[in-house]
Amino acid sequence: MAQEKDQNMMTETPQNAPAPARYADPAEPAPSGAPEPEAEQELEVPQNARAVIARLWRESRGEHWRFAVVLVCVACYTVAQISAPAYSAHLIDLLWGNIQAAHARGELFTIGWETGGRELLTFVGIWTVAWAFYTVQSFTMASFAERLNLKLRHRIGEKLNRLPLKYYDAHKPGDVMSRATNDLDKVSEVLQRGLLSMLMAVGSVTGAAIMMVRLNLTLSLVFLCFAVIAVTGTRLVAKRTLVLAAEQQRAVGILNGHVEEAYSGRIVIKAFNQEEASSARIHEATQQLADTMRRTDFVTNVVAPMVRCLVRLSQVVLALMGTSILMAGGLTIGTLQAFFQYVNTASEPLTQFSLTINQLQSALAAVERVFGVLDEPEIEPDPEVPVHVAEPVSGRVAFEHVRFGYDADRPLMTDVNFVAEPGQKVAIVGATGAGKTTLINLLMRFYEIDGGRITLDGVDTHAMTRSELRSHFGMVLQDAWLREGTIAENIAYGCPGATRDEVMQAAKTAQVDFFVRTMPKGYDTLLENDAENISQGQRQLLTIARVLLANPAILILDEATSSVDTRTERSIVQAMEALTQGRTSFVIAHRLSTIVDADLILVMDHGNIIEQGTHDELLAQGGAYAELYNSQFA
Amino acid sequence: MKTLLRFLRPYKLQTFGVLIALAVNLAGVLLVPTILANMINIGVSSRDFGFILNQGGYMLVAAVVSGAGAFACSYFCADLVTKVGRDIRNAVYDASLAFSGGDFERFGTGSMITRTLNDVNVIQMAISITIQMILPVPFAMVIGIALAWSVDYQMGMMLLSFVAVVALIAVASVKSAARIFQRLQRFIDRMNVRLRESITGVRVIRAFGKEKTEQESLDEAFSEYATNAIRVNWIFATFDCSAFFIMNIAEVAILWLGGNRVGAYAMEIASISACVEYAMMILFFIMMAQIGALMLPRALVCIERCREVIEHAPSIADGPETALATAADAPAAPAPAGDVVAHFGNASFRFADADEDTLHHLNFLCRRGTTTAIIGPTGSGKSTIAKMLLRFHDVTDGTVELCGTDVRELTQHALREHISYVPQKAWLFSGTIADNLRYGAEDATDEELWHAIDVAQSGFVRELPEGLGHRVAQGGTNFSGGQRQRLSIARALVKKADLYIFDDSFSALDFKTDAALRHALAEEVRDAAVLIIAQRINTILNADQIVVLKDGCIQGLGTHEELMRTCEAYREIARSQLRAEELEALMDDANAKGGA
Repeated sequence: MAQEKDQNMMTETPQNAPAPARYADPAEPAPSGAPEPEAEQELEVPQNARAVIARLWRESRGEHWRFAVVLVCVACYTVAQISAPAYSAHLIDLLWGNIQAAHARGELFTIGWETGGRELLTFVGIWTVAWAFYTVQSFTMASFAERLNLKLRHRIGEKLNRLPLKYYDAHKPGDVMSRATNDLDKVSEVLQRGLLSMLMAVGSVTGAAIMMVRLNLTLSLVFLCFAVIAVTGTRLVAKRTLVLAAEQQRAVGILNGHVEEAYSGRIVIKAFNQEEASSARIHEATQQLADTMRRTDFVTNVVAPMVRCLVRLSQVVLALMGTSILMAGGLTIGTLQAFFQYVNTASEPLTQFSLTINQLQSALAAVERVFGVLDEPEIEPDPEVPVHVAEPVSGRVAFEHVRFGYDADRPLMTDVNFVAEPGQKVAIVGATGAGKTTLINLLMRFYEIDGGRITLDGVDTHAMTRSELRSHFGMVLQDAWLREGTIAENIAYGCPGATRDEVMQAAKTAQVDFFVRTMPKGYDTLLENDAENISQGQRQLLTIARVLLANPAILILDEATSSVDTRTERSIVQAMEALTQGRTSFVIAHRLSTIVDADLILVMDHGNIIEQGTHDELLAQGGAYAELYNSQFA
Repeated sequence: MKTLLRFLRPYKLQTFGVLIALAVNLAGVLLVPTILANMINIGVSSRDFGFILNQGGYMLVAAVVSGAGAFACSYFCADLVTKVGRDIRNAVYDASLAFSGGDFERFGTGSMITRTLNDVNVIQMAISITIQMILPVPFAMVIGIALAWSVDYQMGMMLLSFVAVVALIAVASVKSAARIFQRLQRFIDRMNVRLRESITGVRVIRAFGKEKTEQESLDEAFSEYATNAIRVNWIFATFDCSAFFIMNIAEVAILWLGGNRVGAYAMEIASISACVEYAMMILFFIMMAQIGALMLPRALVCIERCREVIEHAPSIADGPETALATAADAPAAPAPAGDVVAHFGNASFRFADADEDTLHHLNFLCRRGTTTAIIGPTGSGKSTIAKMLLRFHDVTDGTVELCGTDVRELTQHALREHISYVPQKAWLFSGTIADNLRYGAEDATDEELWHAIDVAQSGFVRELPEGLGHRVAQGGTNFSGGQRQRLSIARALVKKADLYIFDDSFSALDFKTDAALRHALAEEVRDAAVLIIAQRINTILNADQIVVLKDGCIQGLGTHEELMRTCEAYREIARSQLRAEELEALMDDANAKGGA
């Protein structure tokens, strides 16, 4: 900001002058993908600062010219800015001389062109030059950081499509999101302001130091002593703020935890009459946070004023010494005042220096995290010469000695074998964690198998492109994901070219047509905010309609457990029955009627299929399935 | 604003402290150049070193005092801000505790968390910024202009006009910037929505092979944001550079006027620099305030959001009675089996924003020693029945009575003393297993806890190395859904109550555990009434009475056998869950019993 102009400034200003991007965080992040609650001073240190800087430099290829322009401008600006006080010294001395001469003649003095007017104009000129360079540099930098960010965001966007499902399953959505939003915002904020003021600070300090020495060596040395004390002091405090910030982060974490827990469990709190205890628990956490925050805030806020106070004390000494030298004739009024201006020019950046370093470090840590995402291992590319399945796909799916583990050292599936003949209905049963979802993950190649093979119509799915493979499957999951957009767009997600009639036909078959018609804008109703405005059951029906329209050869269905009411469930079952006609279907089954009617039941336990067959076969076997089934009527 | 003042009120000391410290600090800051000018002026004219030393002393005092002022200001500021923040958080949380179910759902859990945490952070930051970046402006203006005036009235006037111009520009720019920021906010939201969608929907996106489209739409959101962010930066650069320019003009103008005024004996030479410094300082503070002011609109929104919570009047108020009429007589005496524990008398319920009743004219009793089950589709209002008993919702018509007393006559605390509840969503609190189980009965012995654990089929606790002392993570996430549910049942069993409510509490259990649990439970709650809300018909086959709920109306009331014969809605549920042969068997069974 304009504080670079502020050569004669000794003001108490807060350190963390806000940058716009920072305060433009979403006002209300949605609970699921919410970024971490913003911490005011998130101070972290990058693992390998040099490598991050080098890479950032490479990433900003194409924008380097901006950097060059900025460097030149900063240099020129600094020269102009540093020469201004010197010229003003000259100007004051000139005016003072003229005034004294005029007064000696017994006249009043007024500035004319010859008696200072020309010099005043030159002075305006110097500042205008400084201003011009400052302006060029500001505008050049205005788009530098955002362009770089856009580039990195684009890379993250691409990366999202190449990250294996493993990554998504292991990270909270909020984590990935905050890489692309908060972390990069922090970077742009620092590049935009921090880097610029850093460059200018270096220029100002160097220039001011040279000028001070030229004006008066003794006074310069006195100032140097104070400057060293100030810098050492701030460096120490800056380190301390890192510790405090970490402490505060912990307190924030604890409070977050308590609050989330309490809100989510409020029914329990009330039902068990524990309001007071819970309130006490929260109050304790807020108190703790307030205590650490007070310390952190105080320390961060007090550094700059204290350094300025030190500078002012140095000014007292300098003023006394300077005035003595002035009286002895060793300095003119102008030069003494110019010296003071340089003191201010040099000391303001020193005040900010340590904290700016903290900010830069924290920004580098943020970039490092972004690079961390970009460097995550990717899914293996599709085969160069993919094998195609002959159309029309009949839908025979076979698992042959499939081995798989989410962790390389902890195999889950050791030897899975089964064949789903075209048109068969395969029910997958088993306890939570038995591997039902894993089976689906492998089928869709969300995860790659470690051994054996999976075939579709006899073709190894690994030899196909993922997109071709997946185009033959339709999925209806419990987590009914819908996209922001109209209902029609969502139904036509799999085939964007579908006509309105086709969309409506699919909706009718999925028994959701009536519901859609009750919405204010029918099929053009906008679904926003994770489609909060419609119930889970209707959402699931919409996802069924979506699959219906896509008309895949094979279906994967995760039966709803409790989120859908019986009536809707019956609608779903009916829709499914129509849909499964002539299609191979895999159903993660919770409903007994589904299981009993299946052509093939896969009973899973600890990742493996322990029994398979039809309902009657399995009952006759008297194994795990029979036990499970019979316990129903105990 | 009023809300904020309310929270500031208890901290008069800190507030005045901040103001006084700021005044002292700025006076000191501005006096230093004034004294310096004096020293130089005297040094040049009279060469009186004693005077200079004297002035040096003043300067030292000014520097130290202003430093102390800054120090105190930082301290009071940090103290005030964090205390106000703490108080707002506490107020928001405490207000939420009095909310009924409907009140809370109006805000939503996510939004409540944001309000308690992030919003308060923003408010804190805004107060801090106001104190450090905006409040100095009036002080600096008054002191600076006064000092300039004391040097020379023409100087003072010139300074005043400069300050006025810059202040006007600043106000205008803040106004327009605030607008742009709001627009930028929309692009940020979009970016977040798109990102979240591509992350949470990754399976669907890949299943449909829509990676390309999603990426394009992401890129579009990113580009839109970048374009607008750059525009904002340009606008800022424009303001910044014009302020720079005005500062130049001000400095030159002061030099020019100063030269003339010194020439006219109106002021002294060294005071020119002092005036330049006053001007720069005021302009600088205005610039800072301009940046800080951009933060405030957002904070106002946050304050408003907190206020909504704090001032929201809970829709359910306590009744006057602190004890049940019957329980007061002989609290410890075993109540006779068969007496009415809960009674729904023509009870209806309608959500505040609904056009239609969710529950229509419910009439049924829960007797001590018997089990009442409620079955029906999800939308049918089953859970609402439990919530009406617990007064998370109030009937809109008719009555709900507990042991003969209308639940609205009681304090919520007294009412809930008599009810033990297992919510649909099993939620545990961080702490130990024992802490959780003692949630409803602080002084329960370890044996009692173990007993409840056994009844609730939570044998897995015995296998944990630390047993009852085992840590429970927040929400109980270190246990599986079924384990959580069983622990939550155990917790309810530890609490002795007249009525036990199980709201869909068996759904995460496998059939075997479900059955075993029901057997054990029957023994356990013999002296109380039990209300089971269920999805699975198997869970309730043996209940003494089953309420079949559909679209908020009671469709049937009776035992399983009776309902199989008489209630079509019940048969429909049975058909959807059971296979034909089983159904036949059950039907035959029912007919046989009915006929016998």
